[in-house]
Amino acid sequence: MESEEDMLDARSATSDDGFYPNNDDECDSDRMSMGYRYEEEDDDDGMDGDEDAYEDDFLQYGSDEDALHSGRPSYTGRQQLPYTVLTEEAITERQDAAIESVASVLSISRAQACLILRKHEWCVSRVNEEWFADESRVRNCVGLIEKSIKPSMTGQRDIREIKCGICLEYHRIETMQACCCDHYFCQSCWRAYAHTAICDGPGCLSLRCPNPDCNAAVGDELILKLVLEEDKRKYRHYITRSYVEENRRAKWCPAPGCEYAIEFTPGGDIQDVTCNCGHNFCWNCSEEAHRPVECVTVERWILKNSAESENMNWILANSKPCPKCKRPIEKNLGCMHITCTPPCKFEFCWLCLGAWSEHGERTGGFYACNRYEAEKKEGKHDETERRREMAKNSLERYTHYYERWASNEQSKAKALSDLKQLQITQLEKLSDKHSLPMSQLKFLVEAWLQIVECRRVLKWTYAYGYYLPENEATKKQFFEYLQGQAETALERLHQCAEKEVKAHLDGDASNVTFTDFRTKLAGLTSVTKNYFQRLVDAFENGLAEVKDSTAVNTTVQASVKGKCSRSKASSSRSNNASRVVDDEGHWYCRHCTFANTGCSTTCSMCHLETMI
Amino acid sequence: MADTQASLLLRKQLKDLTRRPVEGFSAGLVDDSNIFEWNVTIIGPPDTLYEGGFFNAIMSFPANYPNSPPSVRFTSEMWHPNVYPDGRVCISILHAPGDDPSGYELASERWSPVHTVETILLSIIAMLSSPNDESPANIDAAKQWRDARDEFKKKVSRIVRQSQEAF
Repeated sequence: MESEEDMLDARSATSDDGFYPNNDDECDSDRMSMGYRYEEEDDDDGMDGDEDAYEDDFLQYGSDEDALHSGRPSYTGRQQLPYTVLTEEAITERQDAAIESVASVLSISRAQACLILRKHEWCVSRVNEEWFADESRVRNCVGLIEKSIKPSMTGQRDIREIKCGICLEYHRIETMQACCCDHYFCQSCWRAYAHTAICDGPGCLSLRCPNPDCNAAVGDELILKLVLEEDKRKYRHYITRSYVEENRRAKWCPAPGCEYAIEFTPGGDIQDVTCNCGHNFCWNCSEEAHRPVECVTVERWILKNSAESENMNWILANSKPCPKCKRPIEKNLGCMHITCTPPCKFEFCWLCLGAWSEHGERTGGFYACNRYEAEKKEGKHDETERRREMAKNSLERYTHYYERWASNEQSKAKALSDLKQLQITQLEKLSDKHSLPMSQLKFLVEAWLQIVECRRVLKWTYAYGYYLPENEATKKQFFEYLQGQAETALERLHQCAEKEVKAHLDGDASNVTFTDFRTKLAGLTSVTKNYFQRLVDAFENGLAEVKDSTAVNTTVQASVKGKCSRSKASSSRSNNASRVVDDEGHWYCRHCTFANTGCSTTCSMCHLETMI
Repeated sequence: MADTQASLLLRKQLKDLTRRPVEGFSAGLVDDSNIFEWNVTIIGPPDTLYEGGFFNAIMSFPANYPNSPPSVRFTSEMWHPNVYPDGRVCISILHAPGDDPSGYELASERWSPVHTVETILLSIIAMLSSPNDESPANIDAAKQWRDARDEFKKKVSRIVRQSQEAF
């Protein structure tokens, strides 16, 4: 842990750069970029009173703009995030900084520093620690040979040509190359050697000297000097990837086509991650964000839904997941000693899936496993069979949950595209039509973001519901009640956002003023948010209220209070906008969401809110 | 380009081997028009179970040789823990580097473009004299080699005789 923190310190100067990918060109060093930002702050401070107020508005507007176009729910944007989104340039920058630091501290070349870092998860403090503890061990493990005096050629000037060990032809000494050892090969053989390795995949990063008895590592310097443009590009790409893939603190965003990586900030509590591409995912399981439902539930559910059931069956029958990285492995040849492909490289026994280090003569050698035989006798392997049988019986129940899960997924996708549509064209139209600044239309985006978020939560509650034990009837009832409440509120909001915006766009909604519409939609947004907050809270404490009913009120109120203070800080408008009166004359309390009749002035349920 | 490099190198090696034969094996082409298919005869190394045998094998070189290894397959009958029942030889130096970039085989045991027909065949001769039953290609042969050495010896002397008759 300590070393991770050190690592952060070493990099803290660059840690923000991921947020400002566009600044990269303007500031080519950390110092520069700090200076740049500092100047900006200076300007702000220099404003006098009036301008300050204007500036505040402007800043507010600026962040609204962000929310308008990022597609990120606004309430996650302002918090200190426990992670950083990294662009490819940001990764390269961090690599450069790490290489620079290691090269200067250890007094080695940049290529050597790069090799060492790749073998140590790109962790500067770990490199320093291990190097100063045992330099020769690190050198040996990475394949850095201390430069001995160049080969005997120096003494024998009459020998102008030497034989290349690969093509067996004679070449002039000065045209030949070696890595950090004395084994010289001609350039075209080197090029072909590196090309083959690069085509074979990321294993090329641990390329060694072609001489089988030599342990010397081939550094990026030599490879980039020799290979063709296409290979250079691939090789650089593998180096960049290694930063994320060999580093436990970083992960690629799993969205298709997305090239951002996420780096976790040590010490932070990380759960859901929002990538700059707009994709929301769970840090632990890399599936789409599924809060408040747990990863295990989601994994089971997704596996269950897999439309490629035939493929799934084949994979189940013919492969086993690597016990470490879980990628499916098919065994088609050889003994029971399996080594997973890089970057995992885990060695295990095919039969019992235990680490190979615990195997050997004792457990039956390379083609048998005593442990597996013993486990089989204990009936450990019947479990999968049993689960399959159960799933068959509950197919009907499954269909019920699946249909609802899928339709919410569909609605979510539709809502997302509607939101895009809104951002691209409709906002501008509305702004023209009603002569309102864009910032005044923020409520529309907020409503849609809320819809997307709620569809997501609702969707996962169906997966949760499917796995809720049948015997816990009270829990189930309570869960279905909360779910029903939330769903009703969401349907109302979705309906309003979908239909009434259209009316205002087409201009045939003269009977309802735009201000009324705004009040209604913002109110519905807030009410729906509260319902879902309650649902999420209930899930997160495992529906514990079922046992202790008083807990409901306290938890809900506490969370609502927390949120109110936040929303006040961000916008003062929402206070008035939250009150909504529906078609039957009900108004919804912002604290407990109770639908009060039009004549009462104080919420008759919680007595907290007073109608103005 | 890779094509010419491979065939040039193979032709060079063939010329060298014809001019200066190496003890323990002889090598030639299956068909003179195809430099990528070699016919080799490995002589059973002295003081081993395989002593006196003449084992034929075919070496097939890929177009990107020497950056990828050739495959070697015995056409004579063979009974050995590291030779698949169909005759293919399974030794680590014939494994492409991509198969196991930094796994359990040491770098010095994997394929490297420095290997030549000569070094490959010398490795196969070494394999004949000391079978490696740690990662067997022929499980039955490996079991017999470990548990019923006498039967193994019997079976090997039969294939040695067969190879002599065929020769």
